[in-house]
Order: sequence, then structure tokens, then C-alpha cells
Amino acid sequence: MNIFKATATAVAAVMAFSTPASAEEFPERPINLVAPFNAGGGTDLLLRAFAPHFAEALGGDAYVSNMAGGSGTVGAAALAGQRPDGYQMGYWSVTVATIQPQIKDVPYDVDSWTPICSVAASPTVLFTNASSPFQTIEDVVAAVQAEPGKYIYGSSGPGAITHLTTVAAFEGLGIIDDMKHLPFQGSGPALQAMAAGTIQFFGDTELLMTRGDFRPLVVFNAERLESFPDVPTAAEVGIAAPLNELYLWGGLFAPAGVEPDVTEKLSTACETAMNSDGFQQFAADTSTVLNYRNAADFDAFFRAQYESNSALIEAAGL
Amino acid sequence: MIEAIPQALSLIFTVEGMFVLTLGTMLGIVLGALPGIGSTVAVAMILPFTLTMTQAPAILLLLAIYAGSVYGGSISAILINTPGTPQSAATCLDGYPMAQRGEAGKALGWATIASVVGGLTSAVVLIFAAPQLAAFALNFGPIETFALILLGLTCIVSVSEGSMIKGLIAGFLGLFLSTVGGDPLTGEARFTFGNFQLIAGFNLLAVVIGVFALSEVLIRASAISDADNKLVKFSGIVLPKLSEWSGRVKGLIKSVLIGNVIGILPGTGAATAAFISYAEARRSAPTRDNFGKGEPDGLIASESANNAVTGGALVPTMALGIPGDAITAVMLATLTLHGVTPGVRLMSENPVLMAAIFSGFFIINLMLLPFGMIVSRLAAPILRIKEAYMLVMISLLCTVGVFFVRGNPFDLLVMALAGIFGFVLRRQGFPMAPLVIGMVLGPTLEISLRQGLIITDGSFAAFFTGHPIAAVLAVIALVMLTLPVIRFYRSKSAKA
Repeated sequence: MNIFKATATAVAAVMAFSTPASAEEFPERPINLVAPFNAGGGTDLLLRAFAPHFAEALGGDAYVSNMAGGSGTVGAAALAGQRPDGYQMGYWSVTVATIQPQIKDVPYDVDSWTPICSVAASPTVLFTNASSPFQTIEDVVAAVQAEPGKYIYGSSGPGAITHLTTVAAFEGLGIIDDMKHLPFQGSGPALQAMAAGTIQFFGDTELLMTRGDFRPLVVFNAERLESFPDVPTAAEVGIAAPLNELYLWGGLFAPAGVEPDVTEKLSTACETAMNSDGFQQFAADTSTVLNYRNAADFDAFFRAQYESNSALIEAAGL
Repeated sequence: MIEAIPQALSLIFTVEGMFVLTLGTMLGIVLGALPGIGSTVAVAMILPFTLTMTQAPAILLLLAIYAGSVYGGSISAILINTPGTPQSAATCLDGYPMAQRGEAGKALGWATIASVVGGLTSAVVLIFAAPQLAAFALNFGPIETFALILLGLTCIVSVSEGSMIKGLIAGFLGLFLSTVGGDPLTGEARFTFGNFQLIAGFNLLAVVIGVFALSEVLIRASAISDADNKLVKFSGIVLPKLSEWSGRVKGLIKSVLIGNVIGILPGTGAATAAFISYAEARRSAPTRDNFGKGEPDGLIASESANNAVTGGALVPTMALGIPGDAITAVMLATLTLHGVTPGVRLMSENPVLMAAIFSGFFIINLMLLPFGMIVSRLAAPILRIKEAYMLVMISLLCTVGVFFVRGNPFDLLVMALAGIFGFVLRRQGFPMAPLVIGMVLGPTLEISLRQGLIITDGSFAAFFTGHPIAAVLAVIALVMLTLPVIRFYRSKSAKA
């Protein structure tokens, strides 16, 4: 573990000799974008599609490096406390940034970052098998109350957005204590178990749901989704705030303390990159819901999310 | 599916199609042979290059890399006793002893033919029965998986060289090591002693490379001499003659079946298949007494099974659109990037593309034979360098490979410690294969057991009363465990 710190210190020492960068000259060297998951995963692909457009918008170079492990916390922990010079940033999801630090003893928290920009945000959906007898969420509540302890909801792992979606739904409806939770290692095995009937409920983004034969029950969005006009929002079925809205979002974070000028420059470049034809095409191909927020808005959003997700974490018993 | 094949072949037999198949298979073999760069890393490395290609060639390139890398791992396993990938760990057990007695070319010949047969069969299964098999795989819930893994663990008994007690100790050590890190069901940190890096657990690849490859370097370095004639002699693959196959075909068929079935099931993989197949061959083959000393049947068992997994793993991926592991997840991501939506309707909506993928996969497996011969031929001169240089080179390759996977320097520390640890244990006569089996099977064993107990509300009895497949697997596991004991007492009473 100390090898890393030693290396980082050595690198920092070498860099100390180079001239301090002013915002006008930024960037003078390539920017490292950390993907806290393995190469080939969703986050990695998004970041690799984003990097060339971001580099072009900045008028510099940017490359992606992977540092996987611990549900993304290993990469985030490595970046926390590094020099806030804007040359190192990470792409953290809602779980890495707001959930993991509240359930695990990780060496970073809400104050460790300078949020740069948000890139994506998709509302989550609670769903069941298309062949299941449950047509509406009211059917589910009635069935669970009739036979407590019979029904099982799955997740891709403890503390994952899939877990929090089901917790938000069943805690919000007051039936969570009459159900069982079965965590899997990733969404793939969980969806397989859903197709096999081992679990009855799962929650994820719309994109994942449309891949299988599934029936949406509730959407965790402020309003109904265009693609499912008949599916009620969580608030409509009586799920109270803050459990009624849940988004799988992600954005760029730099270590806390980046100069405002540099933050501004990075945040603007992020917007330009997101509006580029190439990245728009990527988003269309992968059904990624883009959602840009500038540094100030993202900072406020991130802090509010950190706060509201703590209620979910408590409900999940994590 | 079958009706679409003629049209699909016209997609493959194009300049671009043949180019990616050739290049991908070759590159896959090379990447697989390099220690540390396993199939997952190899596929992820190549993914960015597929973005500019059209649909069929992009997927074919990744498939070629995948199949090539699974086979390529056997080259370094046999020639330098360093499994290029965890799934080749079982190949070391008989491959390296053969190489040591001067039969490296022959060992690679057996491994190559076994890999080709395993891969081809799984391609045929994929073409003809993917939807049906995917439906079968759904019968495997957590409880059935638990019983299968239990059966897998009995292979520790058969790969324990010399001392059963030492083999069991190594196996339990492997199981214990797999529990370090975040609890898979609650997320709590276990056995990390406050070290944050351990929250992700020990990286399997770092440990495998450490206990197999680095410890081998240390053992050889501790006995190094000026005479370099102990080196493995190798000048190219020698294919086995047809007559040499007599008595081995039954074992080959069995291993191919094991590989196919395990490939289709969720939560397992090529490493599990290779070990289970090896253990089964060791139990049933007429040559079982020679296992571990350089027996071709052992090589055939592990190499045909791990290559048969490749096609099997594609069954749920393509038929249900649900990836079973990290590699198939990358494949689905590639399809998505090319505007094809993976999911239950993947095969019915894209019959020609799917037929092209499946037939291309068949061709890739045919190509393993000539390209395996070419690549290993190229590796031959490397084996002729001085042993000291060779050991340095192996250490360097291991270091780069392990670092590359997660980009985490902590993994290097784990690899180094595992190397020293493995060296000490091997010196004391502890076999390393059980340790790796424990680490490979441990996480699935734990998760499936605990998931099963959630489903049955804590009842072990319900595991078997309500789940016939699980009950059958558990009985087989019990037989596998008691057979050696019965045999032991029989031979004892025969002597008395």
C-alpha cells in the first residue's frame, strides 16, 4: 500500500521542479482520467469515448487509466488527497461518490473532491418478469402482505444502485420487512435469476430493463418517462421523499482544492465535449442519458445527493 | 440459425473478415501465452480497436482474441511452468513434467489437438443448441451452483501430490484467502486488518502468478548452476500420431462435455472446468497412476475442457443477452457500441449476424492448429537463452502482466509475497494447485451457499429435498470423496 504513496510522493517531488501552471497555460501536460472499474466495463467505455473530445475541447491531451476494485473505492481512494492541479480526475458514479463512503471505511468523504461536471444521469426503474402475475405495484403490496417472507428482491451487490432502488421501493411502501434480499455479483447473474424465477423484483436503469422480457412497475423520477407513459412515478404510488427519486448518475471529480479558474476551464471543456457529434453518437448508441451540470451546480447536486442517500443507506440496513 | 449460415459466411469470407480472424487468433495466442495477460485483459485491450470496424468483424476479432488467449496460456504453462492464465494452471501439472523430460513438442501437440477439439465441439453446440441450453442453464439457481462447486472442491483430493494432508491444508488456505475483502452479501470488510487496499480482496491473478511462476523462478534460482543443459528442449510442436490416441478418446469426449456444461452455467468458468475435468480424468483414466508425472491424458483433460468453455460461455450471453463473466460482458458491450441491442431478442432479431459470429467462432478454433504451431515455433529460440536471463525475463513478464490488470501497485506486493510464500510451501512439499482451486472456487461457494440459505430460510435439508439436480451433484461429490478411501482399504486388505 505504501508503495503507491511512495511512488506518488516521488512523482510529486519531480513535478515540484516544473514551473507552476497558471490557468491560462492549463493544460501543459496530459490529463489522467481514472476509471475506477475494469477496462471494457460501462464506465470505462464511456470515459474512453469521452476522453478524445474532452482533450480536443481543452486543447491538450487526455488519457484513461483503470484502477479497479472494491466497487470503485480503490480508484477513488487513490485519487483522494492527490495534488489538486486539475491533471488528475476520476469518473465517479453515485455509488462511488455518495454511497460507498457512507457504508465503508474508505479514506475519502464528501469533502474530498472538487466536482467538475456531471455527465450522465438515468432514473431507475423497479421491474418484474413480464410473465409474473403482478400488473401493478398495488398487486405487489397486496401479495407481499398476504404472504410475508415469500417474495425475494435481488440486487447486483450490497450498496449498489440496484439494491437502493429496491430498498427505496419497498421501504417507501412499508413492506420491506416482509421480503427477502438476495445480493448477486453483478446485474448479469441477478437478471438470470430473475428469468429463472429465483427472485421476483429487480431495479436498474431503463436501458438494462428493456433488454429482457421485463415489466416496469415504478419509475424513480420526478415525472413519468416518455417511453413508459403508463408506469407511475414513485411519488404517485405513495413513496415519500427522499426515497422517491433515484438516479444512476456519474461525473468528473478532481481532488479537493482545484483553482477556480482551472475548474471553470475543465467544466466548460466537459460541456463542449458532451455536445460534440462523436460523444452524442456514443450516447445514442448506448442509450446513455446525458445530463450536464457545471461545477457549481454539480457541487450542490452532489452534496444534496450525499445527504438524501444516507436515508436510503439506513433503510437498507447497511 | 442454420438457414442464415450461407449468408453469414459471405460476411466472414471477405478481406476484412479473414484479416481479423487471422490477426485476432495469432494475437490472442501470443497475449494468452504472456503470463498475467489473461483472456479478460486481452479482450479489453483490443476492444478500442474494434470501434471503427463494422459489426461482424468487430465481434469476430474479440472472439478470436478470446479463443486464442485460452489456448495460448497452455504454451507458457508447458514450456516454462508459468500458467499464462489461471485456466491453464491445471495444464502445468502434467505439461511441465513432460517438457522436463524432453517431450515439450509432444506435450504442446497434445494440448493443441485437445484445445482444437474442445473449441470446435463447443462451437457446434453453440450453433445447434444455444436457445435450448440457455433454458437449461436457468435451472441452475444458487443451490445447484453450490452443489456443483462442492463437487469441484473434491478435485483437491485428486491433485494433492504425495501428501493428502498437505493438499487439504493448501486447499483450505486457498478458501480462506478468498474470504479476505468485502463481504459479498453485506459489503462489510473482512480480515483486512484496517488495510484499505485489502477491501477488494487478494487479486486471483496476482496470487496465481506468484505461487506458480515466481515461486518457480525462486526454486530454479536457488538451484542454479553453470550447466544450462537442464533447460527445456523445444524446437516445435509434434502432433500426436493417430495410433497414440487409442484409449484416450473416451477421456477427451468426457472432458469436452464437462467444459461445455460448465461453460454454460453462470458463476463458474474455464479455470473451474479445467480443474474438475482434470480431477475426473485422474479418477477414471486407465493411466491415472502417471498423472502429475507428465501424462498426456492429464493435459488433454485440462486443455480440451478450458477451450470447450469458450463456446459454452457464449450460450447464455447470446441466447439471453445476459453475460456470464467479465469477458462475455465486454462482448455484449461491443455489440451495444455497434448499435445491436443485446437481450432475449438478440438471436431472433439478428439471425445473420449471430450466424456469422457462431460460424466465425468455428473457423477460429480450426485456425488454432496452424497458428499455435507458428507462434510456439517463434517462442522456441527464447527457450535457448541462458537460464539466469530466462528467470529474469519471466519475473519481468509477471510483474508487467500483474500490474497491467488493475493498474494497482498493491497487486505487485501481493504477487511478490505469494511468490515467497509459494516457494517456502513448495519446499516443504505442499502442492500449489489445491491452493489455487480453493481461491477460484471459494467466492462462488460462499455466495451460493449463503444465497441458498436465504432462499430456504436457513434450512440445509431444503437444499436437497426440493432440488433434485443439487441432490444428484451432492451424491456424486460424496462418492468422489469416499472412493479413494475404499480403494485404499481394499488394497490394504488385498496385501494382508
